[in-house]
Amino acid sequence: MLEQETRELLLSARDRAAASGVRATFVLHREKSHLMRIGNNSVSLNTSEELTRLDIRVIDGRREGTHTSLGHLTGREYVDEALAIAAAKAKVAVPKDYEPIQECVEENIDEADQDDPALAGLDPSVKSGIYAEVINALGKNYNFSGSWSSGRTEIYLISTCNSNEACHSGTDQRFTVVLKHPEKKWELQNEQTGWKAGDVKADEAISALGSLLPVYEGTAGVRNEPGLYTLLLGPAAVAELMLYALWTGAQGRMYEEKIGWTAGMKIGDRVFSENISVVDDPGDDLTFRFGFDRAGRRRRPFPVIDGGNLAGLMYDLGTAAKYGRAQTGHTLESTGMSIAAGNGPENPMDAIKGLGKVLVIPALHYMNLPNMSKGIITGSSRFCATIAMDGVVTAPIFSTRLTDSFRNIFGDVAAVSPRRVSVNLSSTYGRRAPVAAGVPSYMVCRNVRMTDCADSF
Amino acid sequence: MELLERMKAGISRNISRMAGEGAEYSDARFFADDRSENLVLYDGNLEANDTTFQTGTGVRVLWGGAWGFSASSDPDKLDACFDQALANARTASRLVSVPLRMGRAAPIHGSYSSPVVTDPFSVPLEEKLEFLMGIDKALKEDWIARRAIAAGFMRRTVLFMNSDGSEIVKNTTNVFADMIIMALDVDGMMQRRSMTLFTTGRGTRGWEMLCVPELFCGHADRIKSELSALLSADRLEYGRRSVILLPGQGHLQVHETIGHPLELDRILGYELSFAGGSFVTLDSIGSLKYGSEKLSVSSYGGIENSPGTFGYDDDGTPEKDYLLIDKGILVNVLSSRAMVNEANDRAGRTVLAGSGGAARATAFYRAPIDRMTNVNILPGSDGSLEDIVSSTKNGLLLDNPTSWSIGSNREHFHFGCEIAWEIIDGRRTRILRNPTYQGHTLEFYNSLSAVGDESTWVVCQVDNCGKGEPNQVMQLGHGVPVVRFDDVITGERS
Repeated sequence: MLEQETRELLLSARDRAAASGVRATFVLHREKSHLMRIGNNSVSLNTSEELTRLDIRVIDGRREGTHTSLGHLTGREYVDEALAIAAAKAKVAVPKDYEPIQECVEENIDEADQDDPALAGLDPSVKSGIYAEVINALGKNYNFSGSWSSGRTEIYLISTCNSNEACHSGTDQRFTVVLKHPEKKWELQNEQTGWKAGDVKADEAISALGSLLPVYEGTAGVRNEPGLYTLLLGPAAVAELMLYALWTGAQGRMYEEKIGWTAGMKIGDRVFSENISVVDDPGDDLTFRFGFDRAGRRRRPFPVIDGGNLAGLMYDLGTAAKYGRAQTGHTLESTGMSIAAGNGPENPMDAIKGLGKVLVIPALHYMNLPNMSKGIITGSSRFCATIAMDGVVTAPIFSTRLTDSFRNIFGDVAAVSPRRVSVNLSSTYGRRAPVAAGVPSYMVCRNVRMTDCADSF
Repeated sequence: MELLERMKAGISRNISRMAGEGAEYSDARFFADDRSENLVLYDGNLEANDTTFQTGTGVRVLWGGAWGFSASSDPDKLDACFDQALANARTASRLVSVPLRMGRAAPIHGSYSSPVVTDPFSVPLEEKLEFLMGIDKALKEDWIARRAIAAGFMRRTVLFMNSDGSEIVKNTTNVFADMIIMALDVDGMMQRRSMTLFTTGRGTRGWEMLCVPELFCGHADRIKSELSALLSADRLEYGRRSVILLPGQGHLQVHETIGHPLELDRILGYELSFAGGSFVTLDSIGSLKYGSEKLSVSSYGGIENSPGTFGYDDDGTPEKDYLLIDKGILVNVLSSRAMVNEANDRAGRTVLAGSGGAARATAFYRAPIDRMTNVNILPGSDGSLEDIVSSTKNGLLLDNPTSWSIGSNREHFHFGCEIAWEIIDGRRTRILRNPTYQGHTLEFYNSLSAVGDESTWVVCQVDNCGKGEPNQVMQLGHGVPVVRFDDVITGERS
């Protein structure tokens, strides 16, 4: 739980608001962040930030206003000033044509089951030491870069709806290292994630990068002609494609407003291969677990895709209010997800034996949606992308563009890994907001459209 | 003012203290006032009515050739903030193969204020909402499924001091606005048309910008008419043809395939783990044929009214007006002090004469990186939009992005647009739905065959450029004319 002084400051502000008839919600977001960046085999930036944000939302009938203060939370005056700003904004706001729903903490929650003090206080020299180990092991002739973000996020939520309090404290980290050949320009990457200090291991990075060096050093890059290919997608590619698919297809607002690719469908309709199931599972230890959402709802496992069928639509507070639907615990900055493991072979190369030429694409770069109504996505291969022939990696490939629909990409899935891994999907724009997905370590997708290829990596 | 003076004294004292600790360079940015307001009217409902106020200090210390950075909101923790930045630099210096150097610069005592008649934060909320509702009323029709009008306001007062002895105060103000309407087409697919507040590059950038109909609200009827036509329009067939980019699309093309690849930190490999690198190398500068002779591109451009105009960058370097591409040849890049020194060291010669004044940080709690200022295509001599259309045999006229996806080294790209007008034998024929085009950057710019004159040139505002780790959102501008490229892949293979 939040330390007593700050907690009492906010509780007393809530009580004063309630006593004066103001419907207010208070969210304290506090982060202690550290980030080390690597560039050209050096630490290029080593940063520490301690930031506290106070978000206050006031509902005045059908009007509302929100104010955020990022500063030094000095005392009652500071909180009262923020509340007064939000209330003043609500007072003159344009009334909505529907009833806004106030955040309401369902039950007292005080969670810190993914909080590792050792990670929160990790000495930056541990990070530089691991990077040095990787660089020394693989050779200083390569150009190494990367970043390692770690920190603790505390979120405290109360509202005048009731006297409950919800408090979350958790640690998270994301480690990346990129190995680039200075002349040939190809790039290999290893990424690790987790919430405990010991989750990042130099050996894992050295092994992952080192295993691909022979094919990259020994074989020239290949340019692929546009056409239909079988893809062996790695976990990052699977996670990001699915994240976009759910955002545009399973968010209640996209569905209600007929903007996304599931417009016109109904629950139970087939959307993907039957070997694909996705649940938003706040208890999945491969994700960063949040037991409550920003509306104060207790989060529970929520099936989104079940055996390839659309199983549920995710409704946040605002969408639920506007369209008269039930909230589903998805008032979040970003949603994690858990994609079910399959029954493919453990070794991904065994999964593509006999399939001829396969593009191995571990991750996609800079995706976007040229046609949201049709669920068409585009993005290009980047790190560690190769060609495999009958289960043997034969050559690296140049930057290759995929442009196809979600239903096509996930509609003919030949194999899904039996092993699940964690993929960090956190954005660090603005406040710290850790998000991760638990996904199969590979998927084999057939007849996927590749539309362009560069002449270089 | 009392706090500002106290922080000035504290920063000055700490900068001296850091020098005593052996720091090669240090600076601090104290954001005395950093406020933003975001208003969104969606289907007539005020879905965002938000303000954010933030204050704090960001400190950089260069020690042993390595950067340490620390930030805090607490003015009483200034000494601790410098100590943390120094400690971070010392830790970082244990793993340095390329020592960073800021070099020495003459101290600058200066100030900058955005030209503003009416501070947007002095305008009552009621008046702002009345303005948005007026546009909403103009956009509302039974056949329009969704309509959104957004306005964003930013105002900052930042004190910058560094170990060169520079002391700079910046007061910047930004105003952004968008309107978007959507409707279902004959196939049940959502189509959209939008308009973003732009500037002519001249004049002021306060609330008054919104009061000029030509820059924003006067376009409501036009986008309604165009959306209506889109709903029953034919789909674009795949094929190679010319594309004429209106500034609404051309500015993003410039942003993604000229601006980003010319950021020196990307060129030097400091953004590889997230944003990506660049196909441009140090050897390219002065020799690479980036585009046809019709392509000349500047940074800053002396534009007085743009979010990419800020007086001094976050290294303390005055903003400069210079060419990036001169008649098709790459001649310079977007740069900051440390990156320029490293580039020259690596090349073993003077590749770049000095910093381009492009070190920018989005907030007090982020360290500066190389960013765009205003990256502009200079007006050409191919006349008006209609002159360019009339000289096009087989092409598309494209406006406003719906999708953009770019290769990690910015070597290739794919864009989706809101609308296309087909052009056959110099005449606009029909409107086409869901247009897309793709290409390879150098091949594309070398196919530049027409550049519109000053009558076609406007400054498009960008309020959401993302880059860096931790991520930083930056505001900037692009002055662009109408441009035409030939033999471009358009549409998608069936």
